[in-house]
Amino acid sequence: MSQLVRPNRASRSRWVLGAPLLIFLAAVVLFPLGYGLFVAGQDRSLLNPDPSWIGLDNIAAVVQDSSFWRAVRFTVIYTVVVTSVELILGFLLALLFNRRFPGKRLLLSLTILPVMIAPALMGIMFRLLLNQDIGLVPSVLSVFGWEISLFGTDAVVPMLLLLDVLQWTPFAFLLFYAGMQSVPDELYEAASIDGSGYWRSALAITVPLLLPVAVVTAFLRGVDAFRTFDVVYVLTGGGPGDYTTNVSIYIYKAFSSGNFGIAAAASVVVCLILLPVVPVVVRRLADPARS
Amino acid sequence: MALETISDGRGTTVTPPRTPVVPRRRRRAWGVTAAVSAIAAVLNLPLFFALLTSFKSDADIARSALRVPDTLTLEHYANAMGQAGYDFPRYFLNSTLISIGTVVTILVICVPGAYAMGRLGLGRGHLLKGIAALRLIPVIFFAVPFFLLFSRTGLYDTIPGMVTANTFISLPLGTLLVMSAIREVPHEIEEAAKLDGCSDYRIVARIVLPLLAPTLAAVAVLVFITAWSDYLFAVILTSSEATPVTVGAANFVTSTGIRWGDISATTVLSVLPPLVFALFAQRYLVRGLSAGAIKG
Repeated sequence: MSQLVRPNRASRSRWVLGAPLLIFLAAVVLFPLGYGLFVAGQDRSLLNPDPSWIGLDNIAAVVQDSSFWRAVRFTVIYTVVVTSVELILGFLLALLFNRRFPGKRLLLSLTILPVMIAPALMGIMFRLLLNQDIGLVPSVLSVFGWEISLFGTDAVVPMLLLLDVLQWTPFAFLLFYAGMQSVPDELYEAASIDGSGYWRSALAITVPLLLPVAVVTAFLRGVDAFRTFDVVYVLTGGGPGDYTTNVSIYIYKAFSSGNFGIAAAASVVVCLILLPVVPVVVRRLADPARS
Repeated sequence: MALETISDGRGTTVTPPRTPVVPRRRRRAWGVTAAVSAIAAVLNLPLFFALLTSFKSDADIARSALRVPDTLTLEHYANAMGQAGYDFPRYFLNSTLISIGTVVTILVICVPGAYAMGRLGLGRGHLLKGIAALRLIPVIFFAVPFFLLFSRTGLYDTIPGMVTANTFISLPLGTLLVMSAIREVPHEIEEAAKLDGCSDYRIVARIVLPLLAPTLAAVAVLVFITAWSDYLFAVILTSSEATPVTVGAANFVTSTGIRWGDISATTVLSVLPPLVFALFAQRYLVRGLSAGAIKG
Protein backbone atom coordinates (compact mmCIF):
# COMPACT_ATOMS: atom_id res chain seq x y z
CA MET A 1 0.00 0.00 0.00
CA SER A 2 2.76 2.39 0.91
CA GLN A 3 4.13 2.24 -2.61
CA LEU A 4 0.99 3.79 -3.95
CA VAL A 5 1.05 6.73 -1.63
CA ARG A 6 3.30 9.67 -2.17
CA PRO A 7 5.05 9.97 1.21
CA ASN A 8 4.30 13.62 1.92
CA ARG A 9 0.63 13.14 1.15
CA ALA A 10 0.31 10.22 3.55
CA SER A 11 2.19 12.02 6.26
CA ARG A 12 0.03 15.12 5.97
CA SER A 13 -3.32 13.35 6.04
CA ARG A 14 -2.00 11.25 8.93
CA TRP A 15 -1.58 14.37 11.03
CA VAL A 16 -4.82 15.99 9.88
CA LEU A 17 -6.90 12.88 10.61
CA GLY A 18 -5.05 12.27 13.86
CA ALA A 19 -5.37 15.90 14.98
CA PRO A 20 -8.56 15.62 17.08
CA LEU A 21 -7.18 12.58 18.88
CA LEU A 22 -3.75 14.14 19.47
CA ILE A 23 -5.17 17.46 20.65
CA PHE A 24 -7.52 15.69 23.03
CA LEU A 25 -4.73 13.47 24.38
CA ALA A 26 -2.47 16.46 24.91
CA ALA A 27 -5.06 18.71 26.55
CA VAL A 28 -7.21 16.26 28.53
CA VAL A 29 -4.79 13.41 29.27
CA LEU A 30 -1.13 14.41 29.21
CA PHE A 31 -1.45 17.91 30.61
CA PRO A 32 -3.72 16.88 33.54
CA LEU A 33 -1.46 13.88 34.14
CA GLY A 34 1.57 16.15 34.47
CA TYR A 35 -0.43 18.64 36.48
CA GLY A 36 -1.51 15.84 38.85
CA LEU A 37 2.13 14.85 39.37
CA PHE A 38 2.97 18.50 40.01
CA VAL A 39 0.17 18.90 42.58
CA ALA A 40 1.36 15.69 44.30
CA GLY A 41 4.53 17.60 45.17
CA GLN A 42 2.70 20.63 46.57
CA ASP A 43 1.14 21.36 49.95
CA ARG A 44 -1.98 22.44 48.05
CA SER A 45 -5.28 22.33 49.90
CA LEU A 46 -8.60 24.15 50.00
CA LEU A 47 -7.31 26.23 52.91
CA ASN A 48 -3.94 26.96 51.34
CA PRO A 49 -4.43 29.33 48.39
CA ASP A 50 -0.70 29.86 47.93
CA PRO A 51 0.81 26.37 47.70
CA SER A 52 4.53 25.76 47.72
CA TRP A 53 6.65 22.87 46.47
CA ILE A 54 7.29 20.27 49.16
CA GLY A 55 8.77 17.50 47.04
CA LEU A 56 8.08 13.96 48.20
CA ASP A 57 6.53 14.91 51.57
CA ASN A 58 2.99 14.04 50.43
CA ILE A 59 4.12 10.71 49.01
CA ALA A 60 5.91 9.97 52.29
CA ALA A 61 2.80 10.92 54.28
CA VAL A 62 0.65 8.57 52.20
CA VAL A 63 3.11 5.68 52.35
CA GLN A 64 3.34 6.04 56.15
CA ASP A 65 -0.43 6.19 56.60
CA SER A 66 -1.63 2.80 57.83
CA SER A 67 -5.18 3.48 56.66
CA PHE A 68 -3.86 3.86 53.10
CA TRP A 69 -2.40 0.36 53.25
CA ARG A 70 -5.62 -0.97 54.76
CA ALA A 71 -7.39 0.54 51.73
CA VAL A 72 -4.88 -1.11 49.37
CA ARG A 73 -5.32 -4.43 51.15
CA PHE A 74 -9.13 -4.20 50.99
CA THR A 75 -8.96 -3.25 47.30
CA VAL A 76 -6.66 -6.14 46.38
CA ILE A 77 -8.75 -8.71 48.28
CA TYR A 78 -11.95 -7.30 46.77
CA THR A 79 -10.47 -7.41 43.25
CA VAL A 80 -9.12 -10.95 43.51
CA VAL A 81 -12.25 -12.41 45.11
CA VAL A 82 -14.88 -10.83 42.84
CA THR A 83 -12.86 -11.39 39.67
CA SER A 84 -12.32 -15.09 40.32
CA VAL A 85 -15.89 -15.73 41.50
CA GLU A 86 -17.35 -13.85 38.53
CA LEU A 87 -15.13 -15.70 36.07
CA ILE A 88 -16.18 -19.09 37.42
CA LEU A 89 -19.88 -18.30 37.69
CA GLY A 90 -19.90 -16.48 34.35
CA PHE A 91 -18.30 -19.48 32.65
CA LEU A 92 -20.75 -21.95 34.22
CA LEU A 93 -23.68 -19.74 33.25
CA ALA A 94 -22.39 -19.53 29.68
CA LEU A 95 -22.11 -23.35 29.58
CA LEU A 96 -25.72 -23.54 30.76
CA PHE A 97 -26.77 -21.09 28.04
CA ASN A 98 -24.80 -22.78 25.28
CA ARG A 99 -27.64 -25.00 24.05
CA ARG A 100 -31.20 -24.71 22.83
CA PHE A 101 -33.96 -24.16 25.33
CA PRO A 102 -37.34 -22.43 25.28
CA GLY A 103 -37.29 -18.67 25.95
CA LYS A 104 -33.56 -18.35 25.38
CA ARG A 105 -33.66 -15.00 23.59
CA LEU A 106 -35.68 -13.24 26.32
CA LEU A 107 -33.67 -14.83 29.12
CA LEU A 108 -30.41 -13.73 27.52
CA SER A 109 -31.66 -10.12 27.56
CA LEU A 110 -32.77 -10.42 31.18
CA THR A 111 -29.50 -12.02 32.27
CA ILE A 112 -27.29 -9.27 30.87
CA LEU A 113 -29.59 -6.46 32.09
CA PRO A 114 -27.53 -5.65 35.24
CA VAL A 115 -24.50 -4.76 33.08
CA MET A 116 -26.41 -1.81 31.63
CA ILE A 117 -27.45 -0.34 34.97
CA ALA A 118 -25.31 2.47 36.35
CA PRO A 119 -23.47 1.14 39.44
CA ALA A 120 -24.50 4.21 41.45
CA LEU A 121 -28.18 3.57 40.65
CA MET A 122 -27.66 -0.13 41.37
CA GLY A 123 -26.25 0.98 44.72
CA ILE A 124 -29.43 2.89 45.51
CA MET A 125 -31.53 -0.14 44.59
CA PHE A 126 -29.31 -2.34 46.79
CA ARG A 127 -29.84 0.09 49.66
CA LEU A 128 -33.59 -0.22 49.21
CA LEU A 129 -33.44 -4.01 48.92
CA LEU A 130 -31.27 -4.30 52.05
CA ASN A 131 -32.94 -1.57 54.13
CA GLN A 132 -33.42 -2.79 57.69
CA ASP A 133 -37.01 -1.50 57.95
CA ILE A 134 -38.54 -1.76 54.49
CA GLY A 135 -36.10 -3.90 52.45
CA LEU A 136 -36.98 -7.29 51.03
CA VAL A 137 -33.86 -9.11 52.18
CA PRO A 138 -34.06 -8.26 55.92
CA SER A 139 -37.78 -9.09 55.84
CA VAL A 140 -37.11 -12.51 54.35
CA LEU A 141 -34.21 -13.11 56.74
CA SER A 142 -36.36 -12.24 59.75
CA VAL A 143 -38.97 -14.77 58.61
CA PHE A 144 -36.24 -17.36 59.10
CA GLY A 145 -35.38 -15.81 62.44
CA TRP A 146 -32.11 -14.20 61.28
CA GLU A 147 -31.66 -10.71 62.65
CA ILE A 148 -28.29 -9.58 61.29
CA SER A 149 -27.15 -6.07 60.57
CA LEU A 150 -26.07 -6.20 56.92
CA PHE A 151 -24.04 -3.02 57.25
CA GLY A 152 -22.29 -4.08 60.47
CA THR A 153 -18.62 -5.00 60.54
CA ASP A 154 -19.33 -8.74 60.33
CA ALA A 155 -21.50 -8.74 57.24
CA VAL A 156 -20.57 -5.64 55.26
CA VAL A 157 -17.55 -6.96 53.34
CA PRO A 158 -19.10 -10.27 52.25
CA MET A 159 -22.23 -8.30 51.36
CA LEU A 160 -20.29 -5.91 49.10
CA LEU A 161 -18.51 -8.83 47.44
CA LEU A 162 -21.84 -10.54 46.84
CA LEU A 163 -23.37 -7.40 45.33
CA ASP A 164 -20.43 -6.97 42.95
CA VAL A 165 -20.82 -10.60 41.89
CA LEU A 166 -24.53 -10.01 41.38
CA GLN A 167 -23.98 -7.08 39.03
CA TRP A 168 -20.90 -8.19 37.11
CA THR A 169 -21.20 -11.98 36.69
CA PRO A 170 -23.44 -11.19 33.67
CA PHE A 171 -20.51 -9.29 32.11
CA ALA A 172 -18.19 -12.29 32.42
CA PHE A 173 -21.03 -14.51 31.24
CA LEU A 174 -21.57 -12.38 28.13
CA LEU A 175 -17.92 -12.52 27.08
CA PHE A 176 -17.72 -16.28 27.64
CA TYR A 177 -20.99 -16.84 25.83
CA ALA A 178 -19.85 -14.80 22.83
CA GLY A 179 -16.61 -16.78 22.85
CA MET A 180 -18.46 -20.12 22.93
CA GLN A 181 -20.49 -19.11 19.89
CA SER A 182 -17.31 -18.90 17.87
CA VAL A 183 -16.27 -22.48 18.71
CA PRO A 184 -17.09 -24.55 15.61
CA ASP A 185 -19.87 -27.11 16.09
CA GLU A 186 -17.81 -29.71 14.26
CA LEU A 187 -15.47 -30.02 17.23
CA TYR A 188 -18.29 -31.07 19.52
CA GLU A 189 -19.78 -33.35 16.88
CA ALA A 190 -16.45 -35.06 16.36
CA ALA A 191 -16.01 -35.43 20.11
CA SER A 192 -19.46 -36.92 20.59
CA ILE A 193 -18.88 -39.38 17.73
CA ASP A 194 -15.75 -40.42 19.61
CA GLY A 195 -17.97 -41.08 22.62
CA SER A 196 -17.20 -37.96 24.60
CA GLY A 197 -19.95 -36.92 27.02
CA TYR A 198 -21.15 -33.42 27.79
CA TRP A 199 -18.83 -32.62 30.68
CA ARG A 200 -15.88 -34.23 28.98
CA SER A 201 -16.47 -32.10 25.88
CA ALA A 202 -16.79 -29.02 28.05
CA LEU A 203 -13.51 -29.75 29.81
CA ALA A 204 -11.53 -30.92 26.79
CA ILE A 205 -12.82 -28.49 24.14
CA THR A 206 -14.56 -25.45 25.64
CA VAL A 207 -12.19 -24.68 28.50
CA PRO A 208 -8.92 -24.66 26.50
CA LEU A 209 -10.43 -22.75 23.56
CA LEU A 210 -11.87 -20.10 25.86
CA LEU A 211 -8.69 -19.60 27.86
CA PRO A 212 -7.77 -16.40 25.94
CA VAL A 213 -11.28 -15.05 26.57
CA ALA A 214 -10.88 -15.89 30.26
CA VAL A 215 -7.59 -13.99 30.43
CA VAL A 216 -9.04 -10.86 28.82
CA THR A 217 -12.21 -11.04 30.91
CA ALA A 218 -10.10 -11.36 34.04
CA PHE A 219 -8.12 -8.26 33.05
CA LEU A 220 -11.21 -6.19 32.22
CA ARG A 221 -13.01 -7.19 35.41
CA GLY A 222 -9.86 -6.93 37.50
CA VAL A 223 -9.15 -3.38 36.34
CA ASP A 224 -12.73 -2.28 36.96
CA ALA A 225 -12.98 -4.03 40.32
CA PHE A 226 -9.73 -2.38 41.40
CA ARG A 227 -11.11 1.08 40.73
CA THR A 228 -14.63 0.43 42.08
CA PHE A 229 -16.07 3.53 43.63
CA ASP A 230 -19.78 4.07 42.94
CA VAL A 231 -21.51 1.10 44.56
CA VAL A 232 -19.34 1.02 47.66
CA TYR A 233 -19.52 4.77 48.13
CA VAL A 234 -23.32 4.89 47.72
CA LEU A 235 -23.81 1.91 50.06
CA THR A 236 -21.31 2.47 52.87
CA GLY A 237 -19.33 5.64 52.12
CA GLY A 238 -16.27 3.55 53.02
CA GLY A 239 -17.56 2.76 56.50
CA PRO A 240 -18.19 1.66 59.16
CA GLY A 241 -14.97 3.46 60.14
CA ASP A 242 -12.69 2.79 57.20
CA TYR A 243 -13.78 -0.83 57.04
CA THR A 244 -14.79 -0.70 53.37
CA THR A 245 -12.56 2.14 52.23
CA ASN A 246 -10.90 1.10 48.97
CA VAL A 247 -8.21 3.15 47.24
CA SER A 248 -10.69 5.16 45.18
CA ILE A 249 -12.66 6.10 48.29
CA TYR A 250 -9.43 6.85 50.19
CA ILE A 251 -8.37 9.31 47.47
CA TYR A 252 -11.87 10.76 47.25
CA LYS A 253 -11.97 11.32 51.03
CA ALA A 254 -8.66 13.20 50.86
CA PHE A 255 -9.94 15.20 47.89
CA SER A 256 -13.32 16.09 49.41
CA SER A 257 -11.73 17.20 52.67
CA GLY A 258 -9.67 19.62 50.57
CA ASN A 259 -6.26 17.90 50.79
CA PHE A 260 -5.52 18.07 47.07
CA GLY A 261 -1.81 17.39 47.49
CA ILE A 262 -2.42 14.22 49.52
CA ALA A 263 -5.12 13.02 47.11
CA ALA A 264 -2.80 13.51 44.12
CA ALA A 265 0.08 11.82 45.94
CA ALA A 266 -2.10 8.82 46.86
CA SER A 267 -3.10 8.56 43.19
CA VAL A 268 0.56 8.48 42.20
CA VAL A 269 1.30 5.72 44.72
CA VAL A 270 -1.65 3.67 43.45
CA CYS A 271 -0.38 4.03 39.87
CA LEU A 272 3.07 2.91 40.98
CA ILE A 273 1.50 -0.17 42.57
CA LEU A 274 -0.28 -0.91 39.27
CA LEU A 275 2.80 -0.29 37.13
CA PRO A 276 4.04 -3.93 36.96
CA VAL A 277 0.81 -5.12 35.30
CA VAL A 278 0.69 -2.34 32.67
CA PRO A 279 2.83 -4.02 29.95
CA VAL A 280 0.88 -7.28 30.20
CA VAL A 281 -2.49 -5.59 29.83
CA VAL A 282 -1.33 -3.27 27.06
CA ARG A 283 -0.04 -6.19 25.03
CA ARG A 284 -3.38 -7.97 25.41
CA LEU A 285 -5.54 -4.98 24.58
CA ALA A 286 -3.55 -3.23 21.87
CA ASP A 287 -2.08 -6.14 19.97
CA PRO A 288 -4.68 -8.76 19.05
CA ALA A 289 -2.22 -10.60 16.83
CA ARG A 290 -0.30 -11.85 19.82
CA SER A 291 -3.15 -12.51 22.23
CA MET B 1 -24.72 -34.65 22.52
CA ALA B 2 -26.13 -31.77 24.43
CA LEU B 3 -23.89 -29.13 22.98
CA GLU B 4 -24.32 -29.62 19.27
CA THR B 5 -26.71 -26.77 18.60
CA ILE B 6 -25.92 -23.25 19.65
CA SER B 7 -28.36 -21.26 17.58
CA ASP B 8 -30.41 -18.79 19.58
CA GLY B 9 -33.79 -20.38 19.73
CA ARG B 10 -34.99 -19.56 16.22
CA GLY B 11 -32.70 -21.82 14.22
CA THR B 12 -33.67 -25.32 13.33
CA THR B 13 -32.25 -28.15 15.31
CA VAL B 14 -29.29 -29.95 13.81
CA THR B 15 -29.67 -33.24 15.65
CA PRO B 16 -31.35 -36.10 13.81
CA PRO B 17 -34.34 -36.89 16.06
CA ARG B 18 -34.07 -40.29 17.65
CA THR B 19 -37.54 -41.07 18.86
CA PRO B 20 -36.93 -42.57 22.30
CA VAL B 21 -34.63 -39.74 23.35
CA VAL B 22 -36.80 -36.78 22.38
CA PRO B 23 -39.08 -36.54 25.44
CA ARG B 24 -36.13 -36.66 27.82
CA ARG B 25 -34.24 -34.05 25.84
CA ARG B 26 -37.24 -31.74 25.76
CA ARG B 27 -37.78 -32.13 29.48
CA ARG B 28 -34.14 -31.30 30.04
CA ALA B 29 -34.44 -28.19 27.83
CA TRP B 30 -37.31 -26.95 30.00
CA GLY B 31 -35.17 -27.70 33.02
CA VAL B 32 -32.55 -25.32 31.63
CA THR B 33 -35.25 -22.69 31.11
CA ALA B 34 -36.30 -23.04 34.73
CA ALA B 35 -32.74 -22.83 36.02
CA VAL B 36 -31.86 -19.81 33.87
CA SER B 37 -35.13 -18.08 34.82
CA ALA B 38 -34.30 -18.50 38.50
CA ILE B 39 -30.82 -17.03 37.95
CA ALA B 40 -32.18 -14.12 35.91
CA ALA B 41 -34.74 -13.44 38.65
CA VAL B 42 -32.05 -13.26 41.33
CA LEU B 43 -29.84 -11.02 39.16
CA ASN B 44 -32.72 -8.60 38.57
CA LEU B 45 -34.13 -8.69 42.09
CA PRO B 46 -32.91 -5.14 42.95
CA LEU B 47 -34.62 -3.71 39.86
CA PHE B 48 -37.84 -5.68 40.42
CA PHE B 49 -38.04 -4.56 44.03
CA ALA B 50 -37.39 -0.91 43.12
CA LEU B 51 -40.06 -1.16 40.41
CA LEU B 52 -42.52 -2.65 42.89
CA THR B 53 -41.72 -0.05 45.56
CA SER B 54 -42.14 2.80 43.08
CA PHE B 55 -45.82 1.86 42.61
CA LYS B 56 -46.60 1.32 46.31
CA SER B 57 -48.15 3.99 48.49
CA ASP B 58 -46.02 5.37 51.33
CA ALA B 59 -48.18 3.50 53.84
CA ASP B 60 -47.61 0.19 52.05
CA ILE B 61 -43.87 0.82 51.77
CA ALA B 62 -43.66 1.39 55.53
CA ARG B 63 -45.30 -1.99 56.20
CA SER B 64 -43.49 -5.26 55.62
CA ALA B 65 -41.86 -5.74 52.25
CA LEU B 66 -43.45 -9.17 52.00
CA ARG B 67 -47.04 -7.91 52.27
CA VAL B 68 -49.08 -7.58 49.08
CA PRO B 69 -49.90 -3.86 48.68
CA ASP B 70 -53.52 -2.69 48.99
CA THR B 71 -53.31 -0.17 46.18
CA LEU B 72 -50.92 0.85 43.48
CA THR B 73 -50.16 4.50 42.82
CA LEU B 74 -48.45 6.70 40.27
CA GLU B 75 -47.91 9.40 42.88
CA HIS B 76 -44.16 8.78 43.14
CA TYR B 77 -43.70 9.19 39.40
CA ALA B 78 -45.63 12.46 39.52
CA ASN B 79 -43.34 13.57 42.35
CA ALA B 80 -40.27 12.52 40.40
CA MET B 81 -41.42 14.48 37.37
CA GLY B 82 -41.33 17.68 39.38
CA GLN B 83 -44.42 17.85 41.60
CA ALA B 84 -42.44 17.52 44.82
CA GLY B 85 -39.99 20.24 43.89
CA TYR B 86 -37.22 17.86 42.85
CA ASP B 87 -35.08 18.98 39.96
CA PHE B 88 -35.19 15.50 38.50
CA PRO B 89 -36.34 16.47 34.96
CA ARG B 90 -33.29 18.71 34.79
CA TYR B 91 -30.92 15.93 35.91
CA PHE B 92 -32.49 13.69 33.30
CA LEU B 93 -31.94 16.27 30.58
CA ASN B 94 -28.35 16.75 31.74
CA SER B 95 -27.65 13.01 31.58
CA THR B 96 -29.13 12.88 28.08
CA LEU B 97 -27.07 15.82 26.84
CA ILE B 98 -23.88 14.51 28.45
CA SER B 99 -24.32 10.99 27.05
CA ILE B 100 -25.20 12.08 23.51
CA GLY B 101 -22.45 14.69 23.54
CA THR B 102 -19.93 12.05 24.63
CA VAL B 103 -21.00 9.61 21.90
CA VAL B 104 -20.62 12.31 19.22
CA THR B 105 -17.25 13.50 20.55
CA ILE B 106 -15.89 9.94 20.79
CA LEU B 107 -16.88 9.18 17.21
CA VAL B 108 -15.39 12.46 15.92
CA ILE B 109 -12.10 11.77 17.70
CA CYS B 110 -11.79 8.00 17.36
CA VAL B 111 -12.75 7.28 13.76
CA PRO B 112 -10.19 9.53 12.00
CA GLY B 113 -7.69 8.93 14.80
CA ALA B 114 -7.94 5.15 14.54
CA TYR B 115 -7.66 5.35 10.76
CA ALA B 116 -4.57 7.51 11.03
CA MET B 117 -3.04 5.02 13.49
CA GLY B 118 -4.17 1.84 11.75
CA ARG B 119 -3.57 2.76 8.10
CA LEU B 120 -1.34 5.83 7.94
CA GLY B 121 1.17 4.82 10.58
CA LEU B 122 0.43 7.53 13.13
CA GLY B 123 2.35 6.83 16.33
CA ARG B 124 3.85 3.57 14.98
CA GLY B 125 1.85 1.46 17.45
CA HIS B 126 3.17 3.23 20.54
CA LEU B 127 0.31 5.70 20.55
CA LEU B 128 -2.24 2.89 20.55
CA LYS B 129 -0.44 1.17 23.42
CA GLY B 130 -0.46 4.41 25.37
CA ILE B 131 -4.20 4.77 24.85
CA ALA B 132 -4.77 1.15 25.91
CA ALA B 133 -2.73 1.82 29.05
CA LEU B 134 -5.17 4.59 29.97
CA ARG B 135 -7.72 1.85 30.58
CA LEU B 136 -5.61 0.87 33.60
CA ILE B 137 -5.26 4.20 35.37
CA PRO B 138 -7.88 4.54 38.08
CA VAL B 139 -10.24 7.32 37.00
CA ILE B 140 -9.86 8.86 40.46
CA PHE B 141 -6.27 9.78 39.51
CA PHE B 142 -7.69 12.51 37.30
CA ALA B 143 -10.07 13.78 39.97
CA VAL B 144 -7.69 16.34 41.42
CA PRO B 145 -6.19 17.74 38.18
CA PHE B 146 -9.58 17.82 36.42
CA PHE B 147 -11.21 19.59 39.37
CA LEU B 148 -8.46 22.21 39.61
CA LEU B 149 -8.17 22.75 35.84
CA PHE B 150 -11.92 22.75 35.21
CA SER B 151 -12.45 25.27 38.02
CA ARG B 152 -9.90 27.56 36.42
CA THR B 153 -11.13 27.24 32.83
CA GLY B 154 -14.84 27.59 33.58
CA LEU B 155 -15.62 23.97 32.62
CA TYR B 156 -16.61 23.10 36.20
CA ASP B 157 -20.31 22.24 36.54
CA THR B 158 -21.00 22.59 32.80
CA ILE B 159 -22.27 20.12 30.20
CA PRO B 160 -19.15 20.58 27.97
CA GLY B 161 -16.99 19.86 31.01
CA MET B 162 -18.85 16.62 31.73
CA VAL B 163 -18.69 15.66 28.04
CA THR B 164 -14.91 16.19 28.15
CA ALA B 165 -14.50 14.06 31.28
CA ASN B 166 -16.69 11.27 29.90
CA THR B 167 -14.92 11.33 26.55
CA PHE B 168 -11.75 10.74 28.54
CA ILE B 169 -13.32 7.68 30.22
CA SER B 170 -14.52 6.13 26.95
CA LEU B 171 -11.52 7.00 24.78
CA PRO B 172 -9.60 3.69 25.23
CA LEU B 173 -12.70 1.58 24.61
CA GLY B 174 -13.76 3.62 21.56
CA THR B 175 -10.30 3.67 20.01
CA LEU B 176 -9.66 -0.05 20.52
CA LEU B 177 -13.04 -1.04 19.07
CA VAL B 178 -12.77 1.21 16.00
CA MET B 179 -9.18 0.09 15.54
CA SER B 180 -10.07 -3.60 15.51
CA ALA B 181 -12.78 -2.92 12.92
CA ILE B 182 -10.46 -0.90 10.68
CA ARG B 183 -7.99 -3.78 10.71
CA GLU B 184 -10.69 -5.95 9.17
CA VAL B 185 -11.41 -3.63 6.25
CA PRO B 186 -9.73 -5.23 3.22
CA HIS B 187 -6.73 -3.24 1.99
CA GLU B 188 -7.68 -3.82 -1.64
CA ILE B 189 -10.69 -1.53 -1.51
CA GLU B 190 -8.65 1.40 -0.28
CA GLU B 191 -5.85 0.71 -2.74
CA ALA B 192 -8.28 0.66 -5.66
CA ALA B 193 -9.72 3.96 -4.49
CA LYS B 194 -6.24 5.45 -4.20
CA LEU B 195 -5.42 4.37 -7.75
CA ASP B 196 -8.55 6.20 -8.83
CA GLY B 197 -7.12 9.32 -7.22
CA CYS B 198 -9.19 9.36 -4.03
CA SER B 199 -7.70 11.38 -1.17
CA ASP B 200 -7.30 9.81 2.27
CA TYR B 201 -10.11 12.00 3.57
CA ARG B 202 -12.48 10.83 0.85
CA ILE B 203 -11.53 7.22 1.54
CA VAL B 204 -12.38 7.60 5.21
CA ALA B 205 -15.65 9.40 4.55
CA ARG B 206 -16.92 7.40 1.58
CA ILE B 207 -15.45 3.93 1.94
CA VAL B 208 -14.26 3.19 5.48
CA LEU B 209 -17.07 4.93 7.36
CA PRO B 210 -19.92 2.93 5.78
CA LEU B 211 -18.00 -0.32 6.33
CA LEU B 212 -17.57 0.58 9.99
CA ALA B 213 -21.27 1.24 10.59
CA PRO B 214 -21.96 -1.86 12.76
CA THR B 215 -18.91 -1.17 14.91
CA LEU B 216 -19.81 2.49 15.27
CA ALA B 217 -23.28 1.43 16.42
CA ALA B 218 -21.65 -0.83 19.02
CA VAL B 219 -19.36 1.99 20.14
CA ALA B 220 -22.32 4.37 20.39
CA VAL B 221 -24.31 1.97 22.59
CA LEU B 222 -21.37 1.22 24.88
CA VAL B 223 -20.28 4.83 25.19
CA PHE B 224 -23.83 5.99 25.85
CA ILE B 225 -24.22 3.46 28.67
CA THR B 226 -20.78 4.29 30.10
CA ALA B 227 -21.43 8.03 30.06
CA TRP B 228 -24.90 7.60 31.54
CA SER B 229 -23.39 5.46 34.32
CA ASP B 230 -20.65 7.89 35.33
CA TYR B 231 -20.84 8.81 38.99
CA LEU B 232 -17.31 9.70 40.10
CA PHE B 233 -16.74 12.63 37.73
CA ALA B 234 -20.30 13.78 38.30
CA VAL B 235 -19.63 13.95 42.04
CA ILE B 236 -16.35 15.78 41.57
CA LEU B 237 -17.04 18.06 38.61
CA THR B 238 -20.65 19.16 39.11
CA SER B 239 -22.51 20.97 41.86
CA SER B 240 -25.95 21.85 40.51
CA GLU B 241 -26.11 23.06 36.90
CA ALA B 242 -24.74 19.96 35.15
CA THR B 243 -25.70 17.27 37.70
CA PRO B 244 -26.72 13.99 35.99
CA VAL B 245 -29.21 11.41 37.27
CA THR B 246 -26.64 9.17 38.97
CA VAL B 247 -25.78 11.92 41.44
CA GLY B 248 -29.25 13.48 41.40
CA ALA B 249 -30.98 10.21 42.31
CA ALA B 250 -28.40 9.48 45.01
CA ASN B 251 -29.00 12.96 46.43
CA PHE B 252 -32.51 11.97 47.43
CA VAL B 253 -31.08 9.24 49.62
CA THR B 254 -29.11 11.58 51.79
CA SER B 255 -31.48 14.54 51.80
CA THR B 256 -33.61 14.94 54.92
CA GLY B 257 -36.27 12.27 55.33
CA ILE B 258 -35.70 9.36 52.96
CA ARG B 259 -38.75 9.10 50.71
CA TRP B 260 -38.18 5.62 49.35
CA GLY B 261 -41.17 5.70 46.99
CA ASP B 262 -39.92 8.82 45.23
CA ILE B 263 -36.37 7.51 45.17
CA SER B 264 -37.53 4.23 43.64
CA ALA B 265 -39.45 6.10 40.95
CA THR B 266 -36.50 8.35 40.07
CA THR B 267 -34.14 5.34 40.03
CA VAL B 268 -36.43 3.35 37.76
CA LEU B 269 -36.76 6.33 35.40
CA SER B 270 -32.99 6.81 35.49
CA VAL B 271 -32.10 3.25 34.51
CA LEU B 272 -34.69 3.19 31.74
CA PRO B 273 -32.92 5.01 28.84
CA PRO B 274 -29.79 2.84 28.78
CA LEU B 275 -31.91 -0.28 29.19
CA VAL B 276 -34.22 0.62 26.31
CA PHE B 277 -31.28 1.69 24.19
CA ALA B 278 -29.34 -1.48 24.96
CA LEU B 279 -32.26 -3.87 24.47
CA PHE B 280 -33.03 -2.44 21.04
CA ALA B 281 -29.35 -2.56 20.14
CA GLN B 282 -28.48 -5.76 22.00
CA ARG B 283 -26.86 -7.22 18.91
CA TYR B 284 -24.43 -4.31 18.82
CA LEU B 285 -23.85 -4.41 22.56
CA VAL B 286 -22.84 -8.08 22.47
CA ARG B 287 -20.69 -7.44 19.41
CA GLY B 288 -19.03 -4.43 21.03
CA LEU B 289 -18.29 -6.07 24.35
CA SER B 290 -17.02 -9.27 22.81
CA ALA B 291 -14.99 -7.51 20.11
CA GLY B 292 -13.42 -5.40 22.81
CA ALA B 293 -12.49 -8.52 24.68
CA ILE B 294 -11.64 -10.99 22.00
CA LYS B 295 -10.30 -9.10 19.03
CA GLY B 296 -8.92 -5.91 20.36
